[in-house]
Amino acid sequence: MKHSHSVPEPHTNTLHTRRQFMRTSMLGAAVSWTLPVFLEKTFMTLDAMAADSAVQTPTGKDGSILVVLQLAGGNDGLNTVVPHADDAYYNARPVIGVKPGQILIIDDLIGLHPQLAGLKGLYDDGHLGIIQGVGYPNPDRSHFRSTDIWQSASDAERYETHGWIGRYFDSCCRGADPTVGVAIGSEMPMAFAGENPTGIAFARPEQLHWSAGGGGRSAEALFRELNKPDEVHAGATVGAVGAALPHGGSTLDFLQRVALDAQVSSEKISAIAGKFQAGAEYPRTPLGQGLGLVSRLIAGGLPTRVYYVSQGGYDTHTNQVGTHDRLLGELGDSLAAFAKDLKAQGNFERVVLLTFSEFGRRVAQNGSNGTDHGAAAPLFILGGKVKAGTYGRYPSLTELDRGDLVFNVDFRSVYATVLEQWLQAPGEKVLGRRFPLLPIV
Amino acid sequence: MLTPLPAHEWDPAKAAHLLNRAGFGGTPAEIEALHQAGFDTAVHRLLDAPDDSAAFPKPDWAAPQDLMEDQRMLRNLPEPERREKMQKEQMSKMQQIYGLVGWWLARMWGSPNQLREKLTLFWHGHFTTSLLKVREPFGLWQQNETLRQNALGNFGAMTKAIARDPAMISYLDTQQNHKNHPNENFARELMELFTLGIGNYTEEDIQQAARTFTCYKINPRTMSFQLADFERDDGEKKFFGRIGNFTADDVIDMILEKPACAKYIARKVWTFFAYEDPAPALVEQLAGTFRDHRYEIRPLMEEILRSAEFYSAASIRSQIKSPIQWYVQTARELDMDLPPARTAMNTLRSLGQMPFLPPNVKGWDGGKTWINASTLLMRYNLAALAVSGDPRMGRMAENGDPQMAEHGRPKPLDLAKIAPPALRADPKALVQALGFRLFQKETLTAKEAEVFLKYLDDQHGDTSDQTIRGLLNLMMSTPEFQLT
Repeated sequence: MKHSHSVPEPHTNTLHTRRQFMRTSMLGAAVSWTLPVFLEKTFMTLDAMAADSAVQTPTGKDGSILVVLQLAGGNDGLNTVVPHADDAYYNARPVIGVKPGQILIIDDLIGLHPQLAGLKGLYDDGHLGIIQGVGYPNPDRSHFRSTDIWQSASDAERYETHGWIGRYFDSCCRGADPTVGVAIGSEMPMAFAGENPTGIAFARPEQLHWSAGGGGRSAEALFRELNKPDEVHAGATVGAVGAALPHGGSTLDFLQRVALDAQVSSEKISAIAGKFQAGAEYPRTPLGQGLGLVSRLIAGGLPTRVYYVSQGGYDTHTNQVGTHDRLLGELGDSLAAFAKDLKAQGNFERVVLLTFSEFGRRVAQNGSNGTDHGAAAPLFILGGKVKAGTYGRYPSLTELDRGDLVFNVDFRSVYATVLEQWLQAPGEKVLGRRFPLLPIV
Repeated sequence: MLTPLPAHEWDPAKAAHLLNRAGFGGTPAEIEALHQAGFDTAVHRLLDAPDDSAAFPKPDWAAPQDLMEDQRMLRNLPEPERREKMQKEQMSKMQQIYGLVGWWLARMWGSPNQLREKLTLFWHGHFTTSLLKVREPFGLWQQNETLRQNALGNFGAMTKAIARDPAMISYLDTQQNHKNHPNENFARELMELFTLGIGNYTEEDIQQAARTFTCYKINPRTMSFQLADFERDDGEKKFFGRIGNFTADDVIDMILEKPACAKYIARKVWTFFAYEDPAPALVEQLAGTFRDHRYEIRPLMEEILRSAEFYSAASIRSQIKSPIQWYVQTARELDMDLPPARTAMNTLRSLGQMPFLPPNVKGWDGGKTWINASTLLMRYNLAALAVSGDPRMGRMAENGDPQMAEHGRPKPLDLAKIAPPALRADPKALVQALGFRLFQKETLTAKEAEVFLKYLDDQHGDTSDQTIRGLLNLMMSTPEFQLT
């Protein structure tokens, strides 16, 4: 039975178990029949909605939530988590190095960039983990290729079409509401791509609403008729949903699927976004507003397991200092507001946020007071249940690979940790093999 | 693999497909004219359309600015005037951006040289450059003209021209690529994205190639290209295993010698015009044509547009319209003017494709990435706006939109022309006619026909403009309408 363990629940209660039972029994009779994908999906959605009217859906109020924050462009890890005790750092970066007196000291070896006061506060409160020297073997220095590698969790030599989160949805969230994955932004991240594509992406909740034109009720019903999948296209057995549809089916299937997802998600999200207010002062930037929206959706109990947010602009080839200061300030302030907001809601213990960037930057500054594409870099993980501290080793600044830092933590170890210890998902199945776990959550 | 389409298979659906893909679509009358012309003539009309430059003159603002003089003047102004001058400058830049976007969209919409505009859009997504970094609308306008001039010309010449293009020099940091401190940004993207694709060069090739571009600079007084002799790196370079004092043009020539380059471009062109994931043999054949003609683009396009495969079931109506395609094609199909540039910018931003503002140097991924729950609903809502005779346009005219002032209020949707009274009297014929206009399918599916007729039926004989608007809105609020 796929659905009985489709949503692993750390906190089971009787009501929830009863709902789960009703759900599985409702579909149970149909398991061996051929059932169109849309019907299966609609059943699950209706079921979830029915459950929602009585109590919150299980994933909404009691499931663990992962927020992935992409720092796009290749964040300069060396100026983010600064190895202040290392002369090699200042030798390599005479102009752009962060001045010793300004660094927010973490320990004898490292400190945070002065704009990251918000993160320093979280570290001091015991909610921030700093994972050092994260990367992968044979690092690629292309933005796009390296981003794909991080999003698909593949080896550098392999090209995958599905993302690591998409594979998690495939193995653990079949038949879930499309809002199981929510990306804030106009594009669906490659990390969400899966056998059975799910998740929705939107920059602002007001984009998710269909106004029925001038046609009134009649047009509304006909609109729904036109925007549901054709049965002939979508036929598949329940047990093999997705497998029957390589690459998510034809283009028309894809459009019909998105249309249905849009319908079932739009009302729910608009309602939550309209009802719940942010409980903290977020920076008035896309990242700040994006995290504020995530917090409101969490407060409203949207049954989302993974949120995806991004901040761009980290490709600092030229005159890096001013740009990087601004970006990190925005990052630190946004994350501090997010944590404060979640605490006020009582949801901080349910959320883990993980940052990543496609690569760090070269150790030595370049001729234009910027930095070129590099390799290993630190990443941040924060949440109410995160064990604060530093993980991994800071890479050597003198034993370099073509001018770049050498990784000591494979980024897939971080993914495996989050999957297994936070989302209660089979990490080996999602990532294709076993990676050592970190004692973070 | 690619054989020409037999002339007797030429029909209205194929003529519509040619107009949609090699251009931005057209009205049923335009499609019928292309069909009547016959296959050979139709392809020839698109490939060898007359130059349209006279109809789209250089906009008044599109003139170089002496940036050094401007800076000097600003420095010498006392504080309140300086601030005022800078604010004015900002405003005028914003107006220029509207002007730039409006100028190009109008050209896509109105040019008789449709294929050249479509290719200019393709090359803009290929040799991407963003206003966000370049900040000079004139630079982007200049680059757009360079892409247009070379759109059906020679790919090697275009690549060399783009390496010298001031907007590109600014976008990929060639201006910061110094003899003593090379910046690899342009050299990397030149090989990774513009010519070869990943895996066909080494990191060392990038570093060596970067050295040949150090002398390419922008003249800040004229915003034009200049060769800076003092930045020239005359040392020996090792590129693709060969050693010599190579110039930037030498490096580009050596790149073009690689078979991977012709394949990479041919594959990308086919994907843009026909369908995704072409068979390797098909790509080989196109790449062979491309190389045999020394990277001339016209023969490549001719082979594509004449091929039976281009008109196959795998190709026709298999592509998701890009937002720009959706926008311009909708206006052309409905025989209406484009809304003003400011409306266009807002629309295209929410749909995910702003001209001159690609998301990154890779351009737009296209295909399924155009569509998610929010962009699809946005398309539906914007369709409603398009057929409503948007009252907001009037307000914009009062607010002094520059494009409005210049051209007057755009021509709204003319429902009497789209659905004349005789047609309204026959629901089946009406549904069929509007269906062809919007989907270019000769027959609608049973479900579509049934739903659209049901809509008319629900209006109880009311065939007013309001009903027609509702029907158009319904037809456009469908997965089918997103395909071309």
